[in-house]
Amino acid sequence: MQRTVSSLPIAPPVKVKLISSGFQYVADLCDLRPLQLSKEAGISQQEAVDVLQEVRGKRDQGVAPGGGLTALELFEKEQGLGSIVTFCSALDSVLGGGLPVGKTSEVCGAPGVGKTQLCIQLAVDVQIPLCFGGLGGHAVYIDTEGSFLVQRVVDMAEAAVKHCSLLAEDTEQREALKGFTLETILSNLFLFRCHDYVELLAEIYLLPDFLAQHPEVRLVVIDSIAFPFRHDFEDLSQRTRLLNGLAQQLIQMATQHNIAVVLTNQMTTKVGNGQSKLVPALGESWGHAATQRLILHWEGQQRLASLYKSPSHPEATVPYQITGEGFRDVITTDCLNVSADSSAIPSGNACKRLRLEGDNSHI
Amino acid sequence: MVFLREGLCPGLTGEFIQALRAKDITTVEDLVFADTEELAQKCSVSYKALLAVRRVLLAQHSAFPVSGADLYEELLSSTAILSTGNASLDKLLDSGLYTGELTELVGAPGSGKTQVCCGVSVNIACELKQSVLYVDSTGGLSAEHLLQMVKAKTNNMEEQVEALKRIQVTRVFDIFSLFECLHNLRSTGIAQVVARGSSLKAVIVDSVSAVLALALGGKQTEGMSLMMQIAGELRTIAKDLNVAVLVTNHVTRDSNGMLKAGLGQSWSHVPRTRILLQRVEQSGSTCCNLRTATVIKSSRQPCHLTEEFDMISWAQSGDEVSGSGSQGKRKLPIDSPS
Repeated sequence: MQRTVSSLPIAPPVKVKLISSGFQYVADLCDLRPLQLSKEAGISQQEAVDVLQEVRGKRDQGVAPGGGLTALELFEKEQGLGSIVTFCSALDSVLGGGLPVGKTSEVCGAPGVGKTQLCIQLAVDVQIPLCFGGLGGHAVYIDTEGSFLVQRVVDMAEAAVKHCSLLAEDTEQREALKGFTLETILSNLFLFRCHDYVELLAEIYLLPDFLAQHPEVRLVVIDSIAFPFRHDFEDLSQRTRLLNGLAQQLIQMATQHNIAVVLTNQMTTKVGNGQSKLVPALGESWGHAATQRLILHWEGQQRLASLYKSPSHPEATVPYQITGEGFRDVITTDCLNVSADSSAIPSGNACKRLRLEGDNSHI
Repeated sequence: MVFLREGLCPGLTGEFIQALRAKDITTVEDLVFADTEELAQKCSVSYKALLAVRRVLLAQHSAFPVSGADLYEELLSSTAILSTGNASLDKLLDSGLYTGELTELVGAPGSGKTQVCCGVSVNIACELKQSVLYVDSTGGLSAEHLLQMVKAKTNNMEEQVEALKRIQVTRVFDIFSLFECLHNLRSTGIAQVVARGSSLKAVIVDSVSAVLALALGGKQTEGMSLMMQIAGELRTIAKDLNVAVLVTNHVTRDSNGMLKAGLGQSWSHVPRTRILLQRVEQSGSTCCNLRTATVIKSSRQPCHLTEEFDMISWAQSGDEVSGSGSQGKRKLPIDSPS
């Protein structure tokens, strides 16, 4: 069976005209000239040229568009992409070596739990030179909340440079360190400030061009996706559509340009069954958008990161802390203290901490 | 609607079409519905020729009856039931995915749809040694994870490589690329997709809602039509290529807060079998690997049949599963005291 004209990506009015003048299958269009087509279908010459380009492009391109490949080839490709370390080894191991490149990840959490800190940490860590096991890439940071603090970048960058200089062993690493300084880290971090959702959508449309010009970019952060979309919307279904479109664009970008896309999302309170719990904002269908979902939350004084959704790794919860130097592991002795503490807490509380239900410890 | 053109059938010459067109007969329908005698007079063409053309065109465009006995014969000889590799799911699906049918998995984010898709493709590639086409529209497929699952099934390096080769992955991010991909599969497909010594048995689209939801709603007039075309395409593929089609879909909530499958009423007629995946909500834990699967539409099994299964067990070998479900690969350090 042949491919129908109606499945072509052309404007609906043109499609209607084509079909009503009898062009049902793509094959019917193949041998026509633009002039002929514009006369027969009653469309403008420009439209006819566009239609024919679409048709012929498909035919010449041949089979296997979208890069059909076997899982083995995909595996080899994935191995080459690597991942971005978070400087919190517990979280890295949960994520399978760090934040995966070529995928989208969502970081959700209550205010002040450390979403922006994690994003800034990643923007610094993505630049760690290859010989130190990093990616040596650049970072794009799209700030919608105005919460980006360059001072924090400086703190974390200095800490990262210091950390690497302690690790440097051979000449290659020492050589690489010369190119890994505070100045280079700052100059390889591109910040975009978007004030509302229109600016954000426009920016996402333009981003592929920017990425083509800067092929070293390995990380795109959007902090946060929720803020511009949580107000100004009367029509919620339009919001859902815009968000769905955005999600598909981001996934496409992540795959085509081999970058890690990180989105942050706020939390909202959901009331049901006589109890309230904190859930990520933007509704349930948005939950499908990102490939991985990481929820940051508090348990007493302890910050915890839970991998809530991941197609490739089991779910897990690990503690982390935020120090002056950035996003870090909780030192093991602390960890033991915490575990001891949490077992000391009455059982009702232990119940609360993991489900986030009625979690008022931080409110 | 089929346009009359030269070469459509013998006897339909250029002159003939010109003459018909002059009397506003441009499509096959026009020709079939017009009074042949009157038409022959009006267009001054031979009545006999017109009648012959009409008969050929009708024959070309009509369907052939098939007897039930033949159909049953075909069913027995060509339908395969593909095990999903998970006993609970197999039970719900009446022993597995049927070729020639469309099965749908619906579920909230993180309910394990992609996981099931991976499990099914690994089982088909590894145990049944057949090929799978995996159409990934959410970027959720990770080959590393597939390898993990394959490793749980076999220790032989060569077999692992062969299994991975049998899983063909295509990434599509909009509805038109999905059309392109499905159309290619249908027209040139099988030979190209299939690895040596195996045949294509399953097409997995994860997720169909990610690309379709974009086109629906609002002032867009085209969305429904595109959705139904995709549905038609998937059904044709299932029947013509005799493969099992597995798609995933998201869930929405109705006004009462009840879960229902996404993409609306008209899509709900498309899949033959529909399985709802849900997390088991346990108080006291955010991370839980237990899921329930419920049949919400099926032509073989009673509806609302529910089974519970463990997600982790998919990535592990059989004996470990039977041991204890909670023995995750990574023991959660913070969970242990509770």
